[in-house]
Amino acid sequence: MIHIPVDVFAQIQKNGEEHYPEEGAGLLLGKVHGEKRIVEQVLQLQNRFQPGARHNRYMIEPQDMLLAEEKADELGLEIIGVFHSHPDHPAQPSEYDRERALPWYSYIITKVTDQSAIESRSWRLTDERTFTEEQLQIE
Amino acid sequence: MTTLKIPSPLRPYADGMKEIEVESESVNAIIREIITRYPALKPHLLDESENLRSYVNVFLNDEDVRTMQGLDTRVEQDDHLMIVPSIAGGSTSNNTLAKVDHAALRTNQAMIIGLLLVAFVVDLTSLTLGVGIIMMIGTILAKPGFIFIYRLLRQWNVISPEIISDNPEPHRFANGFGSIVLFGAYLAFGLNSPLVGWILTWVVIILAGVNLFLGFCVGCALYYWLNRIGLPLFPREAPADRFPGTRPPKA
Repeated sequence: MIHIPVDVFAQIQKNGEEHYPEEGAGLLLGKVHGEKRIVEQVLQLQNRFQPGARHNRYMIEPQDMLLAEEKADELGLEIIGVFHSHPDHPAQPSEYDRERALPWYSYIITKVTDQSAIESRSWRLTDERTFTEEQLQIE
Repeated sequence: MTTLKIPSPLRPYADGMKEIEVESESVNAIIREIITRYPALKPHLLDESENLRSYVNVFLNDEDVRTMQGLDTRVEQDDHLMIVPSIAGGSTSNNTLAKVDHAALRTNQAMIIGLLLVAFVVDLTSLTLGVGIIMMIGTILAKPGFIFIYRLLRQWNVISPEIISDNPEPHRFANGFGSIVLFGAYLAFGLNSPLVGWILTWVVIILAGVNLFLGFCVGCALYYWLNRIGLPLFPREAPADRFPGTRPPKA
């Protein structure tokens, strides 16, 4: 299960709304206690995918990941996952998402329609490289 | 000794290690060395062709080795290597919808229904096999099996094309699926089980009818469900604007 404070969750949804009709993305910083994951902060990052294709693509470049790792270290946190939005598409991973997904990370996907976040769901990649839904607890 | 930093998502596959000390002379040798030590890392670092996965980046002292000599980059004592993932994804797969002539598909369905009804009425089991063979040929050629009838109807101006943006693969799968059911029906006739044979034949008639008259392709829906559970032979996702299997709106 992944726990997210309500204000942090609001930032994730707002990020998707602000980037609409493009995809917004960022990283989840927090702590992991066994199967319990707690998001403490989000790091909103630029979608580095080529312009013109950001309506259905996002990318976080390795240089941004390096900086994010440093930031997480400073805060005594870990990068525990990724969030991104699906403009006008369901809050579930696409095949494109699955092919590029990393294990262990939580992937929170937010469906955004007409600039309004409709739904957010969290997913984890299994060892068989398929996605399974993770319970998302907003508190 | 060179220190290799492992990113958090890969640590569970390296006994939870954050850093690993390695004694090798190139980036490639170090990657191979850690895979030998921690075999569970392999599927997450290398693809099926044993190349680094596209999202795996290796940094040597904060510089991407791709800007150096790639995996052949030499590594000195006290160098710091880092595996850094890049993150990518997006709401749809690489699907760009093709142009599919739904008039050809509907002609195909009408021919299947008509010929199978004739087979049932006159008890002509070989016609069931014939329809199955034509459907299988169509599946192999990635065209509706009765495309030749459609072309004749086009020449005679009896029917007009109806080109719609759609995925052709699910229709091909549905056609192949129907063909296999008809082969099963013919096998049942051969095994002296006409009841089973005709039930299977009627399954194809009804599914083709549901597609022709109600605009719902059950075989396509099955294809999209198989895609959703991640089976590799079913790469096409259902277009997001419609229930999987329903006929797309006209452009």
